[in-house]
Amino acid sequence: ESSRSRRRKDWTKLIYNSSASPESILGVDGSGDTSSSGVPRMDDDDFFTVKSSAPVKAEEDLDRTKEPVNADELKQWEDEELLDSIRHLFITGTPSQ
Amino acid sequence: MAQTPTILQFSGHQYLRHRLVLSILSGKPVRIDKIRSDDKNPGLRDYEVSLLRLLERVTNGTIIEISVTGTAILLKPGIIAGGSVVHDCPLSRSVGYFLEPIVMLAPFAKKPLQLTLRGITTDDNDLSVDIIRTVTLPHMQLFGVSEGLELRIKKRGSPPQGGGEVQFLCPIVRQVKTINFVDPGKVKRIRGISHAVRVNPQFSNRMIEASRSVLNRYIPDIYLYSDVYKGEDSGKSPGYALTLLSESTTGAMHCAEAISQPGVPPEDIALQASRALLTEIKRGGCIDRQHQVLVLLMMVLGSEDVGRCRLGEPTTRTIQFLRDVKETFGTAFKIAPADPSDQNTPDLLFSCYGVGYINANRSLA
Repeated sequence: ESSRSRRRKDWTKLIYNSSASPESILGVDGSGDTSSSGVPRMDDDDFFTVKSSAPVKAEEDLDRTKEPVNADELKQWEDEELLDSIRHLFITGTPSQ
Repeated sequence: MAQTPTILQFSGHQYLRHRLVLSILSGKPVRIDKIRSDDKNPGLRDYEVSLLRLLERVTNGTIIEISVTGTAILLKPGIIAGGSVVHDCPLSRSVGYFLEPIVMLAPFAKKPLQLTLRGITTDDNDLSVDIIRTVTLPHMQLFGVSEGLELRIKKRGSPPQGGGEVQFLCPIVRQVKTINFVDPGKVKRIRGISHAVRVNPQFSNRMIEASRSVLNRYIPDIYLYSDVYKGEDSGKSPGYALTLLSESTTGAMHCAEAISQPGVPPEDIALQASRALLTEIKRGGCIDRQHQVLVLLMMVLGSEDVGRCRLGEPTTRTIQFLRDVKETFGTAFKIAPADPSDQNTPDLLFSCYGVGYINANRSLA
């Protein structure tokens, strides 16, 4: 989170001149487990190997418009300081802190 | 480039809707493969097939081929016809799933669209009918699609049984306006719709009260409407939800929503919606995150002039959309920090040269 505000991303480059997935550009691609799946290990001496390129998820990755609720992000709003930090975005707030 | 200059190629089940929309608007056929090809249950889902059927009916002359396994489709677009269409949506997705792409296409139809959709009206995955009515449609007005633009919520339908019905009326335009929306302004009011069907009607008021406890600290101009539907009009399943939207001095809108979950009191649902709205407002920009794609699409289609809009950080959907739109229309946006002197704002200024899309389908009356 903090690194985002420190250094600006070159969005034009990231979007048009890279093949990084949208998730990785935004840094939201899961738990960062980049273990190359699909590569059979040497000790797999079974004749059939389970192809694990499809992520094993209980629920499928829906094509949805609304982003799933991020409970942690919402919990932050219990903090008075954070609540006050966006006051300047309202007409009642002081003109930019 | 040399072999198939006009066929758009995409892979995967994600982003299906905007890709179909881009194909139909551009008139270029689209082939989408690898649709859940590695899944235990491969191929198209019932709602995706239903969407294809709906697009077939809203257009004229569209040819859709689905591979035997359902993992690949080819769509050759016809013209956007409009007119009167009735469609029953499967209960696996809400009517919002179907309305979102339709909203992008309908202004460019031959005749004004009157679309009746039946099914679930509010769920967790897609824009609810309340958001579409109060936030999506005003976004269309920025582009000059306004007279006669309406969404009527005739019956509400909560998951899992649905039973809701909405009617979407959309005028046709010759061309959309170019926008220059760079000042997000300050939030001047908050509006909301609280609804409860087939549960204690007090739930609606309890949500309103809890939401006020969070939002009242910012501004006094808060009006949360308790929308009551009775009997037949309240669908087949119990449920409730709170939809909130903020409006700024310059007309920038942000929205958030939370819907009932089993075992969670209405107060918590209201808190969830209220905090989600604050998160949304904090993210900045002139456009709600969930409407970035719609607005950017209309900017691309705008007249041959430079359109500009200030947005918060793009969503994953927006990033993919920007790539797909470049593929389709050849239009790339210029994306620059909105305020280079202010290191704190993540806001970006998106600008592009419109393609000057003219509604050639429009019948001249």
